[in-house]
Amino acid sequence: MAFVNLKNKLIQVKIVYYGPGRGGKTTNLEYINRRFANRIQSEMVTVKTHGDRTLFFDFLPFDIGLVNGFQIKIQLYTVPGQVKYDATRRLVDGMTMRRENNIESLRNLQENLASYKKNLRTLPWVLQYNKMDLKQQGIAMMPIETLEQDLNQEFHRPFFPASALEGINVAATLKKIISLTVESIRKEFR
Amino acid sequence: MPKSTPSDTLTSELENRLDELFQEDGPPAEALTPRSANHKPLAELKKAVLSIDWEITSEAVESFLAQIRLLKEVYQTDKAAVVLLQILGSLGQYIKSNRSKAHSSTFSLLNSVFARLEEITNHPGMPELTKRKLLQAQITAYQQLREKVSQRRAAGAGRPPAAAAAASAPHSHRSTAAVVTAPMLAQAIAELKDYIHSEMEALRRLVKSGPSQ
Repeated sequence: MAFVNLKNKLIQVKIVYYGPGRGGKTTNLEYINRRFANRIQSEMVTVKTHGDRTLFFDFLPFDIGLVNGFQIKIQLYTVPGQVKYDATRRLVDGMTMRRENNIESLRNLQENLASYKKNLRTLPWVLQYNKMDLKQQGIAMMPIETLEQDLNQEFHRPFFPASALEGINVAATLKKIISLTVESIRKEFR
Repeated sequence: MPKSTPSDTLTSELENRLDELFQEDGPPAEALTPRSANHKPLAELKKAVLSIDWEITSEAVESFLAQIRLLKEVYQTDKAAVVLLQILGSLGQYIKSNRSKAHSSTFSLLNSVFARLEEITNHPGMPELTKRKLLQAQITAYQQLREKVSQRRAAGAGRPPAAAAAASAPHSHRSTAAVVTAPMLAQAIAELKDYIHSEMEALRRLVKSGPSQ
């Protein structure tokens, strides 16, 4: 949820990286934190919470600075990922598992949003198809077209084939979602 | 030539700023110096603040309050830090009692007070005048929050008895709420004001005695 203070001309935006466990959400934040450390002057924090389940999430806040008279602050979060997925499953389960995971994850997101009376048609969001670097290791990848058909056919959102590990399209994804979010807030407060 | 709209200006200015911030030049990520791995006394408190911001659980609030108690010992000679920790502790207690019903400004103040605490403790050489200004701003914000909370309580109390009872005391019955009289409410508000006043006085005394390292 965005926090907008018109009096102090402050916009604070929360952006969540959402997706199945071991999808590379934390790696995205780690790359941003490491690669742009000198410019964003921030620190990434990983939080372990103990509730009725054990969850982790990462948090990376930074300031964009003054834009059109507004101070813009961004807070990046990864949604808590379940730790039950261990490293070996990524290769063992292969494409089918990940395809199901992606679809399931999107459905789960829709359900969560509905409980806040929000939906994917009005919320600003983008898709990142991560782990494209696996191709170089000879691992068969699901074509982008299939992913688009599975996940984006209905929404026509911007999408980015990416490798968070190598930093490919990590910044592009981030820039796009920040632009869309700020624009959406501007429309809301117009 | 067509004039640019405010939307165009915002979008283009934002995109330029983002390009500047996230352009992929310079040394590769691996070559960057990692952040300082020095022990940071506020690290656990930061995690607790973020946890509360994410979801208010008993564990997160208890961990937060435990860290406050610990840090008051660590920073006992730094009065500015102690004052900020007191404010944080007070906010923590308020969140603990009210959970998600806490005033929405509580969470932004919690983050802001923590940010000032981090700033002050990370810059031991900070001039005292700067420290005082930072402190004063947080104390004022804290006072404003207290006023908002008491106004909200008073507004809740001013509603029809049954509605007020439903909002503030889920276990009370209509009959109990009906016996709440105006003088009782006035007395409760006066007591609340006295409490805020005495707490603010204590904070002011601490600030006046000056921050020390």
